Amino acid sequence: MEEMILKLKQEIIEVLNLEDVQPSDIDNDAPLFGEGLGLDSIDALELIVLMEKNYGIKLQDPAKGKEIFKSVNVMADYIQKNRTK
Amino acid sequence: MGQLDYVILESDRAVVSGRVLEHESSGNAMLAELYRAHIADWPKFFKMDTLSKVGFVASELLLKQLSERRCGSEEYISNRAIVLFGTTASLCADKNYQETIQDIDNYYPSPALFVYTLPNIVTGEIAIRNHYRGETSFYVVEGADAAQMAFHLSCAFADDRTESVLAGWVDSTGNDDFKSFFTLIGKDDVEGLEDKIKTILNKTNI
Repeated sequence: MEEMILKLKQEIIEVLNLEDVQPSDIDNDAPLFGEGLGLDSIDALELIVLMEKNYGIKLQDPAKGKEIFKSVNVMADYIQKNRTK
Repeated sequence: MGQLDYVILESDRAVVSGRVLEHESSGNAMLAELYRAHIADWPKFFKMDTLSKVGFVASELLLKQLSERRCGSEEYISNRAIVLFGTTASLCADKNYQETIQDIDNYYPSPALFVYTLPNIVTGEIAIRNHYRGETSFYVVEGADAAQMAFHLSCAFADDRTESVLAGWVDSTGNDDFKSFFTLIGKDDVEGLEDKIKTILNKTNI
């Protein structure tokens, strides 16, 4: 799981263009939105695309993103359970 | 006739009212270098397309240069308009976005690229940064014509609200290829504006 979390953090940094942010800067349990990384609604859409492109997860209900993107830990757990590739 | 302060930002040079800013890189890397050296407090910069990055950095350098001499009231600044010109509009961002939808087997439209597929987004980025609530426009024109630019900029003062306009040319033909100039125009600058713009244009490669 640790390897998965590190990979996910690297993917998030790359797709969201989080310049000057290192994987170690992202707290596994910290909220991705609202504070910390300062992500916005467009970033949320990019994360939905990331999950589909890299893990084959098609989020049917975008509102579910609020729960899934609660933290890197929660996101990684969701991917682990639902990935198709 | 008073000259206007200006910033010229091109792929391999940055000039602030005649003063050349030092840099080691060029193109997009130069924009990031200038951002880190002179701005550094707006991380959203890194998410912008090239057109918006150029407009953002150029406007920041200009406003930094002017801050000591043109401090206005909150209302004066809030009412500021932004009027920009360019030929290529958002073509560069359009191409980058198209790459994400080109392959039917790898079809993942990027929302972050899509939001920049309009040229006037750069005016919004600058307005948000500076809390400007005045009119914003981006004119897509055939070429940099000082008379045409002066006409549209003069018109911006026709309402009873606008007292200053952040104006300029911004054009990006590739992620590392761009040309721009920015200046700030007050009501008092309208007289002889065409010549003032010509003077700046003559210093650029536009």
